[in-house]
Amino acid sequence: MAIKKILLAYNFTRLDQKAVDFAINAFSHLKDTEITILNAYTPLPEIETVDTSITGKLKSSMSYLTQQIAQRETELNEVKQMLLLGGFGEGRIRTEFRPRKRDIASEIIESAVTNSYDVIILNRKHARVTRFFSGSVSHKVVMTLKDTAVCIVS
Amino acid sequence: MSVQERIDINIFKVVFRAIAHSDNLEIMADHLTQLLVAALEIKGCTIFALNPESEELEALASFGMSMSYVNKGPVLKDKSIAESSSSKPIVIRDVQKSDSLQYPEEAKKEGIGAIVSIPIKFYGKVIGALRLYHQAVWDISDEDVDSLLVLAENIGLAMTYTRVLKALRTIKYTVDDIHGLWMLETE
Repeated sequence: MAIKKILLAYNFTRLDQKAVDFAINAFSHLKDTEITILNAYTPLPEIETVDTSITGKLKSSMSYLTQQIAQRETELNEVKQMLLLGGFGEGRIRTEFRPRKRDIASEIIESAVTNSYDVIILNRKHARVTRFFSGSVSHKVVMTLKDTAVCIVS
Repeated sequence: MSVQERIDINIFKVVFRAIAHSDNLEIMADHLTQLLVAALEIKGCTIFALNPESEELEALASFGMSMSYVNKGPVLKDKSIAESSSSKPIVIRDVQKSDSLQYPEEAKKEGIGAIVSIPIKFYGKVIGALRLYHQAVWDISDEDVDSLLVLAENIGLAMTYTRVLKALRTIKYTVDDIHGLWMLETE
């Protein structure tokens, strides 16, 4: 199967950087591939419309929170530059920065199915206790997706 | 000089509604950190889960901090803030004058002026930490620390509930996987 479309799930950790390096080493030389960097961020919580002193203060602070999220989008574009420097051509890189509605694994699975990706690149940190609370992203993706190569950088 | 209280019942209402409206621990924790940053007008907030084997605090959710600070290295329970007990609230009102931080240079570079660390407990056992980072020296009132302890107790409940739910779901998926085999044997 000729690889056409790659999805790189990215969340700004050290292991995500390793996943970027892996993508460059393994796929940048293949000219018929295109790569999408996906980051699904948590949207800001909805603040009730009933005006109290605190809701007024919170609403005014929301612009700061919005800036913080916009900063992440800028940082995601820096990852795009890394891939460009690593050998992926300009027209072969896309970024997908979108609000999440569910757990991260479900967001990756939905994107993979909707856009028919051939390869998914994920990372997995060993012995993380947070997995007990939020579940293993890599496990859920591997168990759910069919006819898709999943590369796990560890 | 008396220290002004920042956390009142209205903040509690907003924060607890955010907890109640989330059916996903990651999203709930993200919203909690966002709301605390906005309501208390602080620099950032992180919720950690404690790895009992490695004694490392693993970030479950973080808001307002740079990724280089979040990824600075392993955060150890008893070294990240070297105080006598990690099971009690710790207030570092002025980071510049403190020698008890595991990463003091990174904290200064990040522009952190003060840190408040609240243990997250379940049945008296520490399972994580709620940390609030202020950009300036912070004289937090005892009442606010007490309010944060109540909040942390509720985070502990939510974390434990989610952990039990995950375990039950894993059992369900496993039973579903082998259910067909059982049916074949009984036919």
